Amino acid sequence: MNNTIDTNAKIKAVFIYNFTKYIEWPAPYKEGDFTIGVIGETSLYSELIKMTETKKVANQTLDVKKYNSLAEVSKCHILYVCKDKSDQLSEIVKKIKNNSTLIVTEENGLADKGAGINFIIKENRQKFELNKGNVEKYKLKVSSNLEALAFTVK
Amino acid sequence: MRRFYILSIFILIATIGYGQFIGKDGVSKALFYLQKNELDSAKKYIDEAEKDETTNTLPKTWYYRALIYKDAYKLYEKEDKNSPLRATAVVALNKLTGLDKENEFTESAQKMMTYLASTYYNDAARSLNPATYKNAIEYYNKYKELMSLAKSQSDLKQQDVKFNLALASMLNQNLEKETKKDSLKVLEVKNIYQSVLDIDSNNGSANYSIGILYYNESADIINNMDYDMDLEQLDKYQDICTDLFLKALPYMLKCHEIKYNLNETLIGLINIYHGLNDPEKEEQYKNELKALELEKK
Repeated sequence: MNNTIDTNAKIKAVFIYNFTKYIEWPAPYKEGDFTIGVIGETSLYSELIKMTETKKVANQTLDVKKYNSLAEVSKCHILYVCKDKSDQLSEIVKKIKNNSTLIVTEENGLADKGAGINFIIKENRQKFELNKGNVEKYKLKVSSNLEALAFTVK
Repeated sequence: MRRFYILSIFILIATIGYGQFIGKDGVSKALFYLQKNELDSAKKYIDEAEKDETTNTLPKTWYYRALIYKDAYKLYEKEDKNSPLRATAVVALNKLTGLDKENEFTESAQKMMTYLASTYYNDAARSLNPATYKNAIEYYNKYKELMSLAKSQSDLKQQDVKFNLALASMLNQNLEKETKKDSLKVLEVKNIYQSVLDIDSNNGSANYSIGILYYNESADIINNMDYDMDLEQLDKYQDICTDLFLKALPYMLKCHEIKYNLNETLIGLINIYHGLNDPEKEEQYKNELKALELEKK
C-alpha cells in the first residue's frame, strides 16, 4: 500500500497554492518571503513544507511556519487553522485584524465565523467556501475566477 | 557345396532377424523396437504407421505413438519447455481418446496424460517470472487440457486459484518496482485477481490485492499532482480518484468481513476512508486497529 502520501493533505496543498494565484495581497506583502502559517496539528504542514522545495509565489520564496498556540501566531499571508484550533477562531481573528492575512479553515460553518476560505466535503470530495467579505476586510483582492470555482460564495 | 552351405546359413540368420516383420505393420515393428528400448527405430516405425492408411485409424497406433514420443521426450527433451516430442505425444493422446471406443488403452493413456500434465505444470511454475509469464499461462493451459482429457479427479478450479494467485502476485510485485505504473499492466493484474474471485469470491488475498491496486492507483495520481494544477483540473482529478477509492472499498470491506490479514486490512480501510474524506469511518477503523493492537500485547 502506498503509505508515502496523505492524499487529503496533498489536495489541500494544491488548493492553497492556487489561492495564492487568485488572491492579491497589498504591496508591502509582495516583498520578502510568502509565509503560510499553520496553527494546530495537521499532516498538511509537512505537505506544505514539501511544496516550498519546488514552488514560489511570484518571485517570493515560500515559507511555512507552525504555531502551537495563538500566542505564537505572527504576521503571515495565509493562516491555516486546523480543526483542533477551530474553537479559537474568534481570538485568531482578533489577533490578526491589522494584518492582510487570508484565514483558511476546515470545519463546517467557519466561513460565517471569520474564515475567508473554508474547506468542506461534498460527495467525498474536497471543496471550498469563499466568504468574500472576510477576505476583503483584510485588504486582499479576490479574483472573480476564484469566486466561480468556489462551492459557495458568501 | 561348402559355399552353398555358408550362403544357406547366412540366409537363415537374415530370415530369423527380419522374418518376424514380414507381413507385419509399422505398429508391430515399432513395438518390437520399443521393447528393445531402441527409441529411434521405434519412432521411425510408428511415424510410418501414422501415415499408413491401414493403421492410422487404429487406437493402438496412437497409443504407441504417444508412448514412444513420451519416452523420447523423457530421454531427449526433458529440459525443453517447448519440446516437440512432448507436443506430439499430446496430439497422439488426443487422437487416441477419439478412437478408443472400447476403452482398450484408457487406463494407461490416462496415466500418460497425467504424467505429461505434471511436466507442463512444472514448466508453468518454472516460467512464472516477468519475462516468460505468458509461456507459463500457455503451459498451465496445456496442463489443464491434459488433466481434463485424463478425466482427472483433481479439483482444477482450486488449481486455477493457486496458479492465478501465484501469477498475479508475481506480476504485482514486479509492478511495485515501477515508479510510473503502466495502466494496462495494472489492469492485467486486476483481471487475473478477478478471475480468482470469479471462482472463490471469499479469497482474501485476491480481495486485498485488488483493493490495494485501486487504492494505489488513486494515491499515485494524487502523489504525482503538481501543486500548480489549476482548480478545474483538480476537480476532475478528484472525481477520478474518488471513483478509484470507491472501487477499492468493497474489496477491502470483504477482507474485513472474512477477517483476512486484519491488521493490514484495517490500515487499508483507514486510508481508503481518509481518501474518501469520511472522518467518521476513518476513526471507526482506527479505533478497531488500536483495539486489535492492544489485544496482541
